Amino acid sequence: MTNLRTTSRLLALTAMLLALPAASRAQEPAPQPVHSAETTATRVAGQEQALGTAEAEPAEACAKHDPADIITPHITDSHCMEIPWLTWPTMSHEIELPRWKPIGHFRGQPIDISPTKHVVMMLFAGFLACLVLISAARSSRRTHATVGRSTGFATGIESMVLFIRNEVAVKNLGHHGEGYAPFILTLFFFILFANLLGLIPYGSTATGNIAVTGTLAIATMIVIEVAGMRANGVGYLSTIFYWNKDLGIVMRVVMFLVMSPVELAGKLSKPFALAIRLFANMTAGHIVVLAFIGLIFTFKSYAIGIAPMGMAVAIMMLEIFVAFLQAYIFALLAAVFIGQIRESHH
Amino acid sequence: MRSSLRFARSASFLALGLLVATPAAAHAESADLLSPSFGLMFWTLGIFLVLFFILSKFAFGPITAAVEAREKALEEAIENAKRDRDEAARILAEHKAALDASRDEAQKVIADARLAGERVKNEMIEATRKEQQDMTDRARREIENEKVRAIADLRREAVDLAIAGAGKVIEKNLDTDANKKLVESFLASIGTGKAGTH
Repeated sequence: MTNLRTTSRLLALTAMLLALPAASRAQEPAPQPVHSAETTATRVAGQEQALGTAEAEPAEACAKHDPADIITPHITDSHCMEIPWLTWPTMSHEIELPRWKPIGHFRGQPIDISPTKHVVMMLFAGFLACLVLISAARSSRRTHATVGRSTGFATGIESMVLFIRNEVAVKNLGHHGEGYAPFILTLFFFILFANLLGLIPYGSTATGNIAVTGTLAIATMIVIEVAGMRANGVGYLSTIFYWNKDLGIVMRVVMFLVMSPVELAGKLSKPFALAIRLFANMTAGHIVVLAFIGLIFTFKSYAIGIAPMGMAVAIMMLEIFVAFLQAYIFALLAAVFIGQIRESHH
Repeated sequence: MRSSLRFARSASFLALGLLVATPAAAHAESADLLSPSFGLMFWTLGIFLVLFFILSKFAFGPITAAVEAREKALEEAIENAKRDRDEAARILAEHKAALDASRDEAQKVIADARLAGERVKNEMIEATRKEQQDMTDRARREIENEKVRAIADLRREAVDLAIAGAGKVIEKNLDTDANKKLVESFLASIGTGKAGTH
């Protein structure tokens, strides 16, 4: 417990240090990485269009990529999607997703909620999760009536669900924390399917996008805080304001002034760490794989191409493991944080 | 059901929190790796919430319920089995006791029967022996009687013969009655002398 608290404080300090440059950068217009004069020009044009006439149809067309950079389009979100297509040799076709009019403006910026590649991937992940889990649940219910247990595929899914529920969620959520188990389970399976979808051809890793991981982390943070409020009532305030009754009044006030910001930062650093961990893991793995594949095209040699391919395959295998691991870690930490705040009696 | 209600409340908190938390992320359309786009956050939250409600209701709920029902059924089955086993053990002990009792009974019956048989046998042997004894005694007595009678007869015959013989020898010499007495006393002396030597 104390170990976790010191860790979270350390994390909080790190988070504050990390957040400083990010915050200062957020004030000014984000600098665009310069790849070539040509792409900079198109980007500036696109930006102007987005800023100025937001309602107008954007001129950006699909299938126009910077040939020097194959990695960025793969790991970032876009309105274009590759789908399987019988065109030799790419075997793919790029389609443009529908662009909706912005639903409003915020500080002059249009709020665009058009579906993007990662939205499609998330929908697909959600659909797959529903398909797999609900079919398993149905099969489980049916076979429970006849055989008395689950059979086949449903057994595997059931054991996964039970493992996450009993070993990850319920064990860490504390007493009477079963109500939060579906949240942890949903986190796990949603992240898992989104992670895995990034590994298949034509797929894209929605969880390698800071917006997605950030949203999941903020959702987790809100659940954590609500859990704290529900479990501790007024005592929840002691998770923000450090008021140690064992100290003398002077030290108590001093420690209150010193520790309260740290406590607050610790609170905020938890979801921050969740978001960054998932985002960085998923993005980094893909960058490594793409970099290895890029080596093949850099050297343009079959002989040299074999080695990067082997490395890429190895990294892909590692990525399959990481997909499970990161989903597990996100779910586990969410459960631990919820359990921690529910059990905190200062 | 109650937990999903509670979660609906949590979810509304969540949506509220997101509205507050996201203004900084409002500039979309950027391909920058570290600037979140509002649209994607909106979609993420929406998809996650819908997924949460669907999965809680149709997947996790039924799976957990099924597993819990199975666990309960198993526990009941184990409990029943334990009870049945205890019952069976009790009945077995009972039967064993009954069997032991009946075996003892049988042993006793056999022992009794053997005893009774022995007694009957002994009695019969005794009876037979007694009867035999009686028969022997009677036979002996009869033989004795016969012997006595035969001796008496023989004696009478001998007297008659002797008298007849003596009469023939002496002829009128002797008075019949007085001689008869003499001979009889002689024969009696022989008889006693014979009995004395025997």
